[in-house]
Amino acid sequence: MYQYDDYDRRIITERARQFRGQVARRLTGEITEEEFKPLRLQNGLYMQLHAYMLRVAVPYGLLSSTQVRKLAHIARTYDRGYAHLTTRQNVQYNWPKLADVPTILDELASVEMHAVQTSGNCVRNISSDHFAGVAPDELEDPRPYCEILRQWSTFHPEFAYLPRKFKIAVTGTPGDDRTAVRFHDIGLRLVENAAGEHGFEVIVGGGMGRTPQIGEVIREFLPKRYLLSYIESILRVYNLFGRRDNKFKARIKILVAALGIDEFRRRVEEDWEASRTPALELPDAEIERVRAFFTPPPYETLPPSDTQLAAFALGRDRDFGTWVKNNVYRHKVPGYSAVVISVKMPGVPPGDVSDTQLDSIAAVADAYSFGQVVVTHTQNLVLPDVKTSELPRLHAELVALDLGKANAGKLTDVITCPGLDYCDLANARSIPLSLEIAERFDRIDYLNDVGDVSIKISGCINSCGHHHVGNIGILGIDKRGAEFYQLMLGGSPGNDASIGKILGAALSQDEIVGAIEKVLERYLLVRESPDERFLETVRRVGLEPFKQAVYGGAAAVGAA
Amino acid sequence: MGYVKHHQKRFLLSDDLAYAGPVPAPNHWVVTGKFTDDAANAWRRADGTWSRSLAEAGLLTDEATAKSLAEAAIAHEQREISDPYVIEVHAADGTIDPLTARERIRANGPTVPLRRPDSGLRR
Repeated sequence: MYQYDDYDRRIITERARQFRGQVARRLTGEITEEEFKPLRLQNGLYMQLHAYMLRVAVPYGLLSSTQVRKLAHIARTYDRGYAHLTTRQNVQYNWPKLADVPTILDELASVEMHAVQTSGNCVRNISSDHFAGVAPDELEDPRPYCEILRQWSTFHPEFAYLPRKFKIAVTGTPGDDRTAVRFHDIGLRLVENAAGEHGFEVIVGGGMGRTPQIGEVIREFLPKRYLLSYIESILRVYNLFGRRDNKFKARIKILVAALGIDEFRRRVEEDWEASRTPALELPDAEIERVRAFFTPPPYETLPPSDTQLAAFALGRDRDFGTWVKNNVYRHKVPGYSAVVISVKMPGVPPGDVSDTQLDSIAAVADAYSFGQVVVTHTQNLVLPDVKTSELPRLHAELVALDLGKANAGKLTDVITCPGLDYCDLANARSIPLSLEIAERFDRIDYLNDVGDVSIKISGCINSCGHHHVGNIGILGIDKRGAEFYQLMLGGSPGNDASIGKILGAALSQDEIVGAIEKVLERYLLVRESPDERFLETVRRVGLEPFKQAVYGGAAAVGAA
Repeated sequence: MGYVKHHQKRFLLSDDLAYAGPVPAPNHWVVTGKFTDDAANAWRRADGTWSRSLAEAGLLTDEATAKSLAEAAIAHEQREISDPYVIEVHAADGTIDPLTARERIRANGPTVPLRRPDSGLRR
C-alpha cells in the first residue's frame, strides 16, 4: 500500500498542529462557534446530536494492521470503545472531546492517516472496489489511480471551496461495478479500447440525496495521461457554474441536469482544450511509481481451490458452509480467496466495531491476509488475500470474535446510516430499525430462500444509507415531530443502476417492519422461480403486487 | 475492555419515544444548546447556568423571553455554549417532555446500545 513521503508527512503533521491552535482558541472563547465551524469541518470534525464526531479518511478503504491497531487505541483511549464504519469506506468516532481531537490527529498522523477533506465542500475521500487488486474479473487495479487522485485533490487550492461536496469513485472491474460509480459526482470506470489500451470511461453528475440521478457518460474513453487535466476541467466548470445560492441545488448533478449532458460536455471540453498543459499530464513513469506501492503480496504457488471451496460450502459444518457460500469470494490468484467479515451482528449497531475486535482483526489480518484489511461501503470489512485452505481456521477465529456472521449480501446485511440516534440532520432513527429487521429475518433458511436482497436505510433525504439504490430502500421522514418511513423498491447501485420507486404512503414505526415482511412474502409468491432475484421480480411485475400486499386497496402513492 | 455483548437485548422501534395518544400541546419553552467542550447537550437552568439534564431546565412561559435568552447566549456565552436555540416542551407533574422524537433523543441519549457509558464531564 501507499507509503507517505516526507511531503505527505509534513503537510499532515502541520495540519494537526494548526488545528491544535484553532481548538485552543475555541476553548478559550477567542473564536466563536460560527468562526470555528469551517475550521473544524476541514478537519473532519462535526457537531452531532449528542457529541462531536470525527470522521477519519481511509483512502479507497485500505488499512494496514498497524493502522487498525491505532484505530483501536483511539477508540479505547479517546472515545467510548468503538469505531463506526461508514458508507464511504471511512471510519467515524462518535464521542471525542474537543480538547482531545488534536492529539487524535497526531496519533493518526503517526500511522499515515488523517481526517482532512472528510467534510466540507471539497473533493472527499476517493472510494473504490473493496475487492480491488484481487477480483478475478478486474481489468486493472484501480487503487493507483485513486491514490494519484487523492494526492492531486488534497489541499488543491482551486477546489477548496466548491459549491458543494464532491465525491469520486473508481472501479477497475467494468463488468461488475461494486463502487456505485454511476451515483458519484464523477465515476471512473477503467475500460479497454479497440486498440487494447486501458483508459477511463468518465461518468458525471450521478448522486443520491434529495434529487437522485444516475450519472451520464461524458467521455467514453479518456487516455490515462489526461486523467488529472480532464477532471480539473470538470471541476472548473462545476466551480464556475454550479449554484451557490441554494444548498439543495448545489451538487454537480443539478448543473448537469440543468445544462444537459451535451452542453455540459461542450463546456468541459472547451475548458480542457484551453487549459491542459504538459504539467498536468500523467507520465507513464508517475503511474508506474504509484503502482509500485500496490504490487501484489508474496503469494505462494498453490493449486486452484474452486473444488475445495465447493466442498466447504456443501460440507457437514452447515454454519461454516453457509459462511463460505455467502462471505467468501473468488480471488484472481489460484488457492486464495477474499473474505468479507460481516459487521452486521444481531444486537450491535451495523458497522460498529469495538476496540478489542479491531485489535483482533489486526491480528487476524497479519496471520491470514498479509496484514491488510479493506473497509467496504456496505459497512463491512474484507480480508483480501486468504489462503482457501485456511478458511476453516479463520472462520473459527472470526466466530470467537463475534464476527463470523454468514450474511454478506443477504437481507440482514443492511446498510444503515447513523440516523436520529446520532446525526444532527436525521429525521428518524435508522439503527433500531435495522436491528429489528435483522432480528425479524435472522433465519438461515429464510435468508437462503429470499436470496440476494439488499435493504438500505437512510434517516433523512441526504441518503447516507443509500436508500435510493436499495432493492428495498427505506427513508426516514419527520411528520410533525414523529418518525415515519417511506418504503421504496427496485433500486440498484451496480451496472444495472436504477433508482427505487416509492411504494406508497409513509408508514409509522409500528408498520414498517411488517410492511417489509409483506413485500418479501409477496415476492416469494410472485417470483417465476427460485432463481429469479427480488430485483428482477420487481422489474418484471412492477410495484402493484407489492402495493396490494402492503396497503391492500388503499395505497396513497407518493403521500408522505 | 470496552466491548459489551448486546445479543440478548431486544429492539422495538416503537418504544417510549412515541406518544401512545396525541402529542400534548406545548405549555413551556426551554433554551438548549451544546457544551463546547464535548458537544454534549445543554439546557439552561432558571439561574442562567447550564445543565446536562433536561430535568434541570428552567421553564419559560413565553416564547419571546426564551428567544431573547437564546440570543443573549449567542452573544455572551459562546465560550461555554455553542448553537443555543429554543424548544417547546410539555411540563406537568414535575416532568419535562420534549414534543419531537429528535428532542426526546437529545434529552435521553441514543436508543441503541453503546460500548461504554460516558466517562465524561458532569455539571
